[in-house]
Amino acid sequence: MSKVRLSFLLPLLAFAVLALFGAIALYSTLLGSRDPAQLPSVLVGKPAPQTTLPRLRQQDHNNENSVTLTEFRGQPLLVNFFASWCAPCRVEAPALEMISKNIAIFGIAYKDRSEDTAEFLQQFGNPFQAIGMDIDGRNGIRWGVYGVPETYLLDRDGVVVLRHAGPITRGIIDNTIMPALEDLGS
Amino acid sequence: MIFVDFGTMSHLFHRIVRLIKVYLPFLPTKPLRRAAGFSVFLAVMIMTPLTTTVFTVGTTPALAITPEEILVDPKLEARARALSKQLRCLVCQNQSIDDSDADLARDLRTEVRRQISAGRSDEVIIDQIRQKYGDYVLFNPPLDRGTAFLWLAPIGFFGLGVSIIVLARRSLPIPASPDLGASDHARIETMLITRNSANSNEKDRHKK
Repeated sequence: MSKVRLSFLLPLLAFAVLALFGAIALYSTLLGSRDPAQLPSVLVGKPAPQTTLPRLRQQDHNNENSVTLTEFRGQPLLVNFFASWCAPCRVEAPALEMISKNIAIFGIAYKDRSEDTAEFLQQFGNPFQAIGMDIDGRNGIRWGVYGVPETYLLDRDGVVVLRHAGPITRGIIDNTIMPALEDLGS
Repeated sequence: MIFVDFGTMSHLFHRIVRLIKVYLPFLPTKPLRRAAGFSVFLAVMIMTPLTTTVFTVGTTPALAITPEEILVDPKLEARARALSKQLRCLVCQNQSIDDSDADLARDLRTEVRRQISAGRSDEVIIDQIRQKYGDYVLFNPPLDRGTAFLWLAPIGFFGLGVSIIVLARRSLPIPASPDLGASDHARIETMLITRNSANSNEKDRHKK
């Protein structure tokens, strides 16, 4: 008699287990610990790829023809991929301006023309210490860039600490970038 | 790009309806007719999406790849196409870079072709892109600790199903043999004897 009852309950039990898995997945999504829209980055925890790019000429800067990532060693660094043709990059311009008081920013103009980039900087401000021109986007592929804007936080040794895809906002600065920067001891 | 040929679809639909109208009266009972009607309905429901894909394949949607990307050597180009089909377009997420018109997809296609021209092997090229974009870029996830459950689950579920069936069959009550009286045994005897003699008669006839 008990055997019959067990086989009757078995599908119900299996369903309960499945429902439990579903509930866990749903809850972790709702609570924000697992966000399916969050783009994964494999670069976090690894040294940033070697980057040497043609330097965008600016009046008040040195006359080197190229800019290298290693120039910024010894201090935490933000690497910001942007472009003049990218609308969210205009949105994040004020936030970048704000955080540039706390940390050096290396700008990489992604698939952009120098004259367009220069015009963009004139219009929306220039928070960057230096700007490298990634004209064909190959450098972006080496960083695993999905699209602009995209921002990476590097520690003193050039190791990637975090990556943010999408425009930087006040909230991102306060809740994500500044705490990570404080962890780096700056 | 999805292309649905509504002309062909409606033609097919009308043929199915005619088939039902012609053959339904031949089915004797009402439940049987109902069952037939329902199964045809189910078949149509299942077939509809399939037919659209068949027609789509037939009409070949526009290629995402542009002429200037294509390699001169057809062998290398074939390799590039095969590799591109295994790589996810990261901005569109459910297309391969071979299918996608997105800028990043084109850049990755160009990168794949550049590496092929440089003489790298397929494994090296895939591995390089994977190191930058993670397993996520692969449509065919590798078997490692993180994906073990994904790969082994089907085998596990199959085993689970088989063991449930075996257990269920084993726990089935064995049908009790009915009590046979002496007269029943006598009847069985006579039945077996007549059958055996009939068989031997048959064999004899064949010999002749």
